[in-house]
Amino acid sequence: MYDIAIIGKGPAGISAAINAFARNKSVILFGSDSKKVILSPSIPNYPGLPDIKGVDFAKRLEDHLSSTNVETSSKKVNAIYSMGNYFSIQAEKDVYEAETVILATGVDFKKSIEGEDSFLGMGVSYCATCDAPLYKGKITTVIGYNEESYKEADFLSEICTKVYFVPVFKMEYNFNSNVEIINDTPLRFEGSMKADRLVMKNSEILADGFFVIKDSYPVSSLVPGLEVDGPHVVVNRSMETNIKGLYAAGDITGRPYQIAKAVGEGQIAVLSACDYLDKKASQ
Amino acid sequence: MAKHVTDLTFKEEVINSDIPVLVDFWATWCGPCKMLAPVIEEVSKNLEGQVKVVKIDVDENPQVAGSYGISSIPTMILFKDGAPVGKMVGFRPADQIESAIKGALGL
Ligand SMILES: Cc1cc2nc3c(=O)[nH]c(=O)nc-3n(C[C@H](O)[C@H](O)[C@H](O)COP(=O)(O)OP(=O)(O)OC[C@H]3O[C@@H](n4cnc5c(N)ncnc54)[C@H](O)[C@@H]3O)c2cc1C
Repeated sequence: MYDIAIIGKGPAGISAAINAFARNKSVILFGSDSKKVILSPSIPNYPGLPDIKGVDFAKRLEDHLSSTNVETSSKKVNAIYSMGNYFSIQAEKDVYEAETVILATGVDFKKSIEGEDSFLGMGVSYCATCDAPLYKGKITTVIGYNEESYKEADFLSEICTKVYFVPVFKMEYNFNSNVEIINDTPLRFEGSMKADRLVMKNSEILADGFFVIKDSYPVSSLVPGLEVDGPHVVVNRSMETNIKGLYAAGDITGRPYQIAKAVGEGQIAVLSACDYLDKKASQ
Repeated sequence: MAKHVTDLTFKEEVINSDIPVLVDFWATWCGPCKMLAPVIEEVSKNLEGQVKVVKIDVDENPQVAGSYGISSIPTMILFKDGAPVGKMVGFRPADQIESAIKGALGL
């Protein structure tokens, strides 16, 4: 059981990790190098390092992190479950446990399909392997944003009578004969009690269930039960979320999207987590 | 321990129950359902006497799952006097489940 699990290896996550190390906590940090930092041609507004290039700043962060004993993992975290007194963290095929979690995953600007979140769990699913058996003998649609979605469509075609596949990401693939590929742009889901129709630019699909398979999901599906406001996590001044022991920092908490703000929030979040741990230990 | 109900015992255990019943729809192949299991036990313990908590395996009991339109699991449905009064889809922490139940029942 780790004291603190940090999800995200951008400026917010690394700042949290450095401060957790200073407070002598056991820490695991998930994520790969921040694409946003690396893409910054030059950073004119980070105090003390005028006009440093993004790649150079990333290198400094990495060096600072490796001077600590913080354990790192490049695994992608798929789900974080609040079990009451601790968190269960699903990272690819493995499960980790930590007493507190700092969420520092940045923001994703990819727009979702209209109605995707309101119909989630009501005809719209993010996980074919989880919900496929509920659609045995029925008609489903897969909206595929990545390679994995091709395999998920294939898997569904073994259970369902018919699978429509709407590729948003294109590659060559040999599907079973009951998979029909529809090349169109998804706009919105429609239905009354549950989603039963996908409206696209030029046509529509009627189906019993819709699977949206992509690399990153809204943060509310990463942490079930988390209070969000659009793409952002709701936090107070101590960076606490509505879930006890779970904190958030960086772009994920809202604008401005800036490195100095991310670093400051990462520090506050981890110090709040340390206070929480110390209180828990003294009880 | 949350009791397991089936298509056959659902009426007696849930519909005809004297007190409200929280039904957890789950299946063996569902990861989030496994995570929810100990949470459901905690809720059951904390609300003992006020709310009965039961589980139903949707694979083995397609009739009940079908009639309540379960399209994703885990799903929790709260029943009062034989009728559904609230629904939660997906994993939730225990305190959120408890406050939703209390809110729906006015406890
Ligand atoms: C082109 C460009 C130029 C910019 N210029 C500036 C500038 O000059 N000055 C400035 O202050 N800001 C600038 N920014 C903004 C700045 O880069 C961001 O505000 C900052 O990177 C936010 O840090 P963060 O730690 O919150 O998130 P990010 O840096 O986005 O890091 C997110 C981390 O989370 C990880 N992650 C995400 N999901 C998961 C998951 N499910 N499991 C595991 N890990 C996950 C990622 O791998 C990554 O490590 C610029 C951004 C861009 C794109």
